[in-house]
Amino acid sequence: MKDTLIETSPLTLRRVTACSSAGRLSARIIRPVRRADAPPMVVLHGISRNAGTLARLFAPEGERTGRTLIVPHFPADTWPDFQRPSKAARPDLALLALLDLVASEYPDIPGPVDIFGHSGGAQLAHRLAMLYPHRVTALHLAAAGWYCRPDETMRYPYGLAPGKDAFAAKLVRRNTAALRDFLHIPTCVYVGTEDVTRDDALRKTRALDTGQGPHRRARACSYVTALNAAAEAAGVPPRARLIEMPGCDHDVVCAITQNDLAARVLDARTALI
Amino acid sequence: MTLADTLAQAKWTFVTRRVDPACVTATDTDFPAAQPGDLILAHVDRLGQHRRVQLPSGRPSLIFPGDAVVMACGSRYAPDQFEGLAEIDAEGADLLAGGGCIGRMVARNSRIKPATRLVPAARLLRADGRAVNLAQFALGPRPATQRPSVIGVLGTSMNSGKTLATAQLVLGLRRAGFRVGAIKATGTGAFGDFNEYSDSGAHYVGDFTDAGMVTTYLEPLDRIKTAIETLIAEAGHRGCDIVVMEVADGLLQRETAALIADPWFARLVSGLVFACGDAVAAMGGVAHLAQLGLVPDALTGLVSCSPMASSEAQAASGLPVLTKEDLADPAEATGFALRAGLGRKEAA
Repeated sequence: MKDTLIETSPLTLRRVTACSSAGRLSARIIRPVRRADAPPMVVLHGISRNAGTLARLFAPEGERTGRTLIVPHFPADTWPDFQRPSKAARPDLALLALLDLVASEYPDIPGPVDIFGHSGGAQLAHRLAMLYPHRVTALHLAAAGWYCRPDETMRYPYGLAPGKDAFAAKLVRRNTAALRDFLHIPTCVYVGTEDVTRDDALRKTRALDTGQGPHRRARACSYVTALNAAAEAAGVPPRARLIEMPGCDHDVVCAITQNDLAARVLDARTALI
Repeated sequence: MTLADTLAQAKWTFVTRRVDPACVTATDTDFPAAQPGDLILAHVDRLGQHRRVQLPSGRPSLIFPGDAVVMACGSRYAPDQFEGLAEIDAEGADLLAGGGCIGRMVARNSRIKPATRLVPAARLLRADGRAVNLAQFALGPRPATQRPSVIGVLGTSMNSGKTLATAQLVLGLRRAGFRVGAIKATGTGAFGDFNEYSDSGAHYVGDFTDAGMVTTYLEPLDRIKTAIETLIAEAGHRGCDIVVMEVADGLLQRETAALIADPWFARLVSGLVFACGDAVAAMGGVAHLAQLGLVPDALTGLVSCSPMASSEAQAASGLPVLTKEDLADPAEATGFALRAGLGRKEAA
């Protein structure tokens, strides 16, 4: 895949591959010429696995804001499941290894990162932050199909109520241990006002429809409410915001080109912190 | 052959790793005066339990009758092997530990061979006539820095799984992005645990030998506590956010019992892992710790190898039982770090 826009810009592009017990993970590292004193932004694709497209669309904003971009790619053949840590796959371990590799190769960006994710990438982003809140400075979640609520209103993986499965019990314990730190993370949840279609890619179960809503827009609203309620219950200042994108459906390209999603994400830092 | 030649050809053992051989300028044979930590040059007389000694380089070396070896006079407490005292008999001494501990064996586990016998040749002396002692090469004080958080690892006995738990938790914390120190707080100097911690990627590894002791057995409690504080300070100086600290042997061993009963210990540790072999041991250990005001965060060790034993232990204690894979999992390890107060800004 050619990154034509990047190749003709002053940005520097490099591909790196990190190895971990969970498997290999490659990513584009896009560095602006003028670098701001701000964490890098990890950009996570959804099930369309359009890392190249996201890199191309985020790159100009990375250059404008001086932000380094880390754009991983989870190929379908080696990462059939990547949206959440599960018995089948541990994308969280691969991402941690990637961040460690980036930190070792770019000593000027050793610390925690901001994370943007679209759709399945947003699912992975918030689950990574729940497990490793110390590695994440801000979260930008765009149009996730469903969420892990930070409360016990639903069983894992829809919430933190323990189920019968032993692996799920472990993840509940781990998420619960890190919950208070997770709730400190400033979080923007983006969703199109027209993202109300119950398409084939949307997970549809009775429990999910009842507990989180019938479509992505409703689920995003429900999640922000749950995040802020959990924060208040924990004595943490609520830091989640819902940002609706008028006229936008589930198309991330549309969200970026017509609703300035990439610019909003990279400009949000000042407002969030 | 000159003294320098003799010392150059001798096998210097692991516990002498901090010693500068150039400081040895003379010797004597006043073995009754030998104190714990004094360096002794001895020759291998008759091979027994130990057929190797551990070198400072981290590899074992075969030994043969007649070999010259430099060791430290010390005691040893190892229920699986020997109990020994820091006494040197000019007629013959015992190799109490392969890391380089020479003394007098007073008890032996019936399942192992007698100790390898040694003939003391010399006590090593400095230019001022004092014996060369490990304490002279101990870590010095460090300027006050932010002290790393400490996760303690305790167990029911030798070989209950403490070292594996320590190393795997180090691995998990490192994978989670923390700078991790690994410390062996008590025991007898040897490279096995030291190497296992290093292999797990600890950013700093230290043991009581680095604080000037060949063994902590029969050492005063205050000296051991000072040594632990020194090692933790060193880990902090090396940039560690968190330290995983193994305390050797079982809860009832002399020094371990004294350490954990001291209120200082409860203030020192921000988290605790308890390694045990079965559910009954778990119950007993947890109850004993509760009497001291200590509550483990998790059980681990041999019990975790059996799902049935784990279920029993978990039901009886109310504590999670973590396998070595759990401890090495950064998602699990992060919980220990966050409970210890390491928030987002402290991560590497």
